[in-house]
Amino acid sequence: MEMFLMVLCMSMFGLAIAAIAFGAATRPESSSSRVQPELRPVKAVAPGRFFTDQVIPPAAPRTHVPTEILLTQIENHVRLEQAAAESFLESPSHAQLHTKTTSAFVN
Amino acid sequence: MAPEQSELLKDLTAEEVQRILALGARIAVPSGASLFHLGDPADRLFLIERGRIRLTLPMQVRGREEDVVVEERTSGQTVGWSALIPPHKFTLAATAPLETEVIALPREELRKHFAANPTVGYKITLNLAVVIGHRLQLFQAMWLREMQRTVEKHSA
Repeated sequence: MEMFLMVLCMSMFGLAIAAIAFGAATRPESSSSRVQPELRPVKAVAPGRFFTDQVIPPAAPRTHVPTEILLTQIENHVRLEQAAAESFLESPSHAQLHTKTTSAFVN
Repeated sequence: MAPEQSELLKDLTAEEVQRILALGARIAVPSGASLFHLGDPADRLFLIERGRIRLTLPMQVRGREEDVVVEERTSGQTVGWSALIPPHKFTLAATAPLETEVIALPREELRKHFAANPTVGYKITLNLAVVIGHRLQLFQAMWLREMQRTVEKHSA
């Protein structure tokens, strides 16, 4: 009789443990009740460099010429080039054709 | 400059010049105004009597379309010879940087006049060939200079 009661108690205890474990496994998660871990912004990942160990240096900042000045330089360049071409047409020669320009646009 | 001294009317007699000028109309182009746009139908040839005309082409500069001066023509010179050359479309845009006066010669009137006066047509066609030929040679030289710079840059 004692043996029977002991086996019964252990069976009931095991069943209770199994029921608790089953309940815990199948319980729906509620996000509101849980504290979400704070997500920190991740740094942008640099693009992978394949087949090279060469590190590309960041581009040097360019001196920004205003568009109006750039257009004036282009216009002056065209005038200088036309003058050079006119000189070539007046007396065609290799030297006249390839005279160096003082144009700020190309120098 | 007197119209008879114009590059287009060179070697014409005074009477021939007067007849040609009688076909056209004087147009005053205010400073900054456009004479014609790129792609417009070219139905008139222009003799610059006074002032200046800037011939421009569009260029992309920092993502914006800008008109870049290709050539400047002054009094006595001719613009708009596309009026006499098929497909009769302007291949440049023309604006006046200062108050300018031009004589506009309609293509159809010129064509009829040349048909009736072949000698005049021949002289004007020769003069026009000089204008076109000069521009061609000028741009050939300019193109070659640019190419030379590109070659030097690439082979440096």
